[in-house]
Amino acid sequence: MTRLSLALLLPAALLAQSGAGEWKTYGQNSLGWRYSELNQIDTTSVARLAPRWIFQSGMTGGFETTPLVFNGQMFIAGPSNNSWALDLLTGKPLWHVKKTPPGRLNLCCGEVNRGFAMLGDRLFRVNIEGTLVALDIRTGATLWETKLADHKKGYSATAAPLIANNLVITGIAGAEFGTRGFVDAYNPETGKLVWRFNTVPGEGEPGSETWSGESWKLGGGSTWITGTYDPALNLIYWGIGNPGPDMDGDVRRGDNLYSCSVVALDAGTGKLKWYYQFTPHDVHDWDAISDPVLVDLTIAGRAVKALIQANRNGFFYALDRTTGKVLVAKTYTKVTWAKGIGPDGRPILIPGQDPTEEGNLVCPGLGGGHNWSATAYSPQTGLYYFNSSEDCHLFFKTKQGFTEGQWYQASNVEGPRGAHGTGRILAVDPTTGETKWHFDMVSSTSAGALATAGGLVFSADGQGYLIAFDARTGKVLWKFQTGGGIAAPPVSYALDGKQYIAIAAGGSIMTFALQ
Amino acid sequence: MQFKFLSVLALSVACFAQKNPFTGDASAVEAGRLLFRISCAGCHGLHAMGGRGGPDLTRGTYSTGDADRDLYSKISNGVPGTEMPSFREPLDDSNIWRLVTYVRSLSHAGGAAIKGDRVAGEKLFWGKGSCGQCHRVGMRGTAIGPDLTRAGKQRSLAYLRESVVSPDADLTPGYATIAVVTRDGAKISGVEKGFDNFSARLMDLSGRYYSFLKDNVTSMEREYRSLMPSNYGRMFSPRELDDLLAYLASLGGEQ
Repeated sequence: MTRLSLALLLPAALLAQSGAGEWKTYGQNSLGWRYSELNQIDTTSVARLAPRWIFQSGMTGGFETTPLVFNGQMFIAGPSNNSWALDLLTGKPLWHVKKTPPGRLNLCCGEVNRGFAMLGDRLFRVNIEGTLVALDIRTGATLWETKLADHKKGYSATAAPLIANNLVITGIAGAEFGTRGFVDAYNPETGKLVWRFNTVPGEGEPGSETWSGESWKLGGGSTWITGTYDPALNLIYWGIGNPGPDMDGDVRRGDNLYSCSVVALDAGTGKLKWYYQFTPHDVHDWDAISDPVLVDLTIAGRAVKALIQANRNGFFYALDRTTGKVLVAKTYTKVTWAKGIGPDGRPILIPGQDPTEEGNLVCPGLGGGHNWSATAYSPQTGLYYFNSSEDCHLFFKTKQGFTEGQWYQASNVEGPRGAHGTGRILAVDPTTGETKWHFDMVSSTSAGALATAGGLVFSADGQGYLIAFDARTGKVLWKFQTGGGIAAPPVSYALDGKQYIAIAAGGSIMTFALQ
Repeated sequence: MQFKFLSVLALSVACFAQKNPFTGDASAVEAGRLLFRISCAGCHGLHAMGGRGGPDLTRGTYSTGDADRDLYSKISNGVPGTEMPSFREPLDDSNIWRLVTYVRSLSHAGGAAIKGDRVAGEKLFWGKGSCGQCHRVGMRGTAIGPDLTRAGKQRSLAYLRESVVSPDADLTPGYATIAVVTRDGAKISGVEKGFDNFSARLMDLSGRYYSFLKDNVTSMEREYRSLMPSNYGRMFSPRELDDLLAYLASLGGEQ
């Protein structure tokens, strides 16, 4: 078949929208939907889905990347500063570049990377040691590399950058090392910093009063998952991570802004438009880094521009994305720390949930109800799809001195004896927070979700299964054992009249199309 | 010149590593306890009595040597062939010594003294208890249940006692029970060899291996109970239990 024949398979209106067959940004669109308008693979035909090619990277795993797809090529930002361009038809590599990471890195979670951003003839990625890199899309050659922060102090970078207002927006990781987070905007041509938003306010700045003493200096608040962008409002939305040290809140009394918040930033200046703090004074490591997805909803009869997030603290939220006001807040997993969210937007706390010397059992656990993995919104079903961890942990607190560049969590968690955490994939109605269906899993998954116009939701598990669900009912319609643990989200694209699904599994990239 | 300098440096580090500068220092014990909670409790347990991965450190004897310098060396360098990593990077010399001081302080507070007769316990293990039908010690026995070759180094006496009399209390990961009901109604259960969202693999007590796809069976469950009989607390007299535990506690990997 030719590319032209795709027009016969897809509604003309969909083809008229540019990019229906491509995947050019982390969340498929800047709103973070992860929704493909392709519908060749649907609830009936998905039974005929079969592998087309496998690219073996030679690495043992650790892929958390969202592949970008356009111009007949696939672009992979892999672990340990590896990047590839692949031929979309055959999977053969067109170029591969690698920059060996420095020997001594202070990382929480491996040398992972979650993907590229693209603008014009350039790709942008972060390297694990905390740099932002522009690559020539034709060769992979480095055009510029800008240091975001000092890796010796515990900073690192893992998230896919976001293009907004013709700037390259990036975050930073490292809140477990007593760092101070930020969201940065860079000039795509030169790599020069245009603006920085510090996620922990400095002395005298608004919000600094929410940190006791000089605790703000080690305040954490990293920004390790890609935000979203509403071009109409020219606002960037970014989730902020936990305060530091994670579990000893005694040394940082106060709400600890803007940790565990979502911030709305003017894309031109980086100025704070509004913020909403999901978990004031967090002591359970519940970063607010889940995708902040931008959807227009009708809630209680009123049309609203919403921001939805399945927060790590166990609540699903819908906020008014013009003001930050809470519209919906409802638990989607077992929650023991709060009775609900009050009319003032603050959680109604249940006493006695803080970490202790001997351990305090709290739900959700350290990883939260939903963690970083990519979520999907389907305008076809109106449902929001994400995974959850059904788990609780004993949270411990230990006095810990700070040493620059060293782990500063004070202290850790354990699974309660005899308990065995499981996982779910959920479909939630974002206008009410009601769970419409769920699929129980033997363990939680880090793989993300993809929704398609074929009435499907794709996700995967850590044991290697790529799974297709009926988006309306949650029924498993197809599955495939890829042979490698999956911790990355699937994407969909079209080539020569065929719709494809692609996903990183183990150390490989696999693609699928109808037989 | 450079070589000479390095040699002197290496010698001075080696000398430093021989002697614990905090012996008898109560503040070092407390500092070591806090460090232990941060860096070690995840594997060795909050009170150092052994977690699922790391050995019990409260018994005053360690698989890699009992002197302070042995402990220092293992914390600093790690233990090859085990999950114990090197802590030389995150912890400096003085903090490693504080950890050593804390761990040494635990040796008298360790679990109950071992009362039984090890030799009698060995006979019970291989004889009356038939434990070798499911457990391996060194080259003897059968590896259907957990390998006990190093059980004495890996677990506290209290934990071993609980495992004998209440096998369901804390399952060794990977040793749950898989229960499958086939389409024709047959019930098959065995030790977990693999379990995921769409398939299950198991071995029954006779050593027969099974593999099932969820789509092809009536039900497929992972049950967090042990296939080990739960009547050893009644089968053995208190004295026999002590003997058996003395044997298990003696298992340190020696052939």
